[in-house]
Amino acid sequence: MRDEERRDGDPSDLELVQAGRDGDESALGLLVRRHHAAAFRVAVSLVKEDDVAQDVVQDAFMKAFRALDGFRGDAAFRTWLLTITANEARGALRRRGRRKESALDDAIEVQSGDPSPATAAIQSVEAERARRKLEELPDKQRMSVSLRIEEGLSFKEIGEIIGSSEGAARVNYFHGIRRLRELME
Amino acid sequence: MNETMCGTIRELIPDVVGGRISETDLGAVEGHVVECSECAAELRLAGTLFASRPVPPPGLLERLLDSVRTSAPAVRTRAQPSRVWWSVAAAAVAAFALGIGISSDPGLELPVEVPGYAYEVEEGDIWVSDDGLLAGAPLFDDLSDDALLQLLEELSVASAGGSA
Repeated sequence: MRDEERRDGDPSDLELVQAGRDGDESALGLLVRRHHAAAFRVAVSLVKEDDVAQDVVQDAFMKAFRALDGFRGDAAFRTWLLTITANEARGALRRRGRRKESALDDAIEVQSGDPSPATAAIQSVEAERARRKLEELPDKQRMSVSLRIEEGLSFKEIGEIIGSSEGAARVNYFHGIRRLRELME
Repeated sequence: MNETMCGTIRELIPDVVGGRISETDLGAVEGHVVECSECAAELRLAGTLFASRPVPPPGLLERLLDSVRTSAPAVRTRAQPSRVWWSVAAAAVAAFALGIGISSDPGLELPVEVPGYAYEVEEGDIWVSDDGLLAGAPLFDDLSDDALLQLLEELSVASAGGSA
């Protein structure tokens, strides 16, 4: 399940937030549809387990919705939600006190335009290897790479989520992608 | 290969794989990676990562939407008065109604009909009967918490005084 893209004429996130503040349940539902997949990726990147990540995402959305009055719109709703999700994930990790290997086999979905079975198999193996190597990066490098490539966030937004400056987020991204290339060679 | 050019292209690579790039910039990237194996390798890696993004398990979306439906009242802080104050208002009205009924003739054992709105209030139901208008619910709509507290105190005094 992917995040639903916003189409022309659809309400903006900020408009949905305002409607949600006034008790419009469908507006909150639309925000969930738009951002749940990104929130899940952030959560699973940190907690490594699908079921824990799902709990984290649910808690993050509920926390965000209860705090809608405090959302001033300085940042994008998506960035705000992902920051809450990352904090919830870190909290879950602290509570658990340990980490486990990621259930990547269940989480990976290769998107490619109907390749041949042989090509698909190679791509799948390559993708799984890339994701396993990605897991080897330090947290901030891994998050910076994921958020930049998978979510298309700016370095400023990434910095807000990982708790660093825009410049540090940029450095983490480029160090991370270079290290990942070295690991893949 | 020009280091500055490589730096510019690598800034753009995430936007290329995510389809968030202008035709002009896309042309520049495509032209560059033909000649630069380093940037071409980085583009392939980014493409692989983007294509293998983890996806939420089936059922997560429905679970989240369900939790929105069940938790939405908690979000509507500005749309509705809190359940606590509705309960206080209902209790105050019930006490007032009963107080009048008892104090009008305290010496007689009159059958007291408990109005519908004084029955147990179920979760999610503020008024279980249709006589909310008689119970005065609309009158409380615009009262502040302080005004409701004052009203409750007045009703308590009136009720105590009337039955003494």
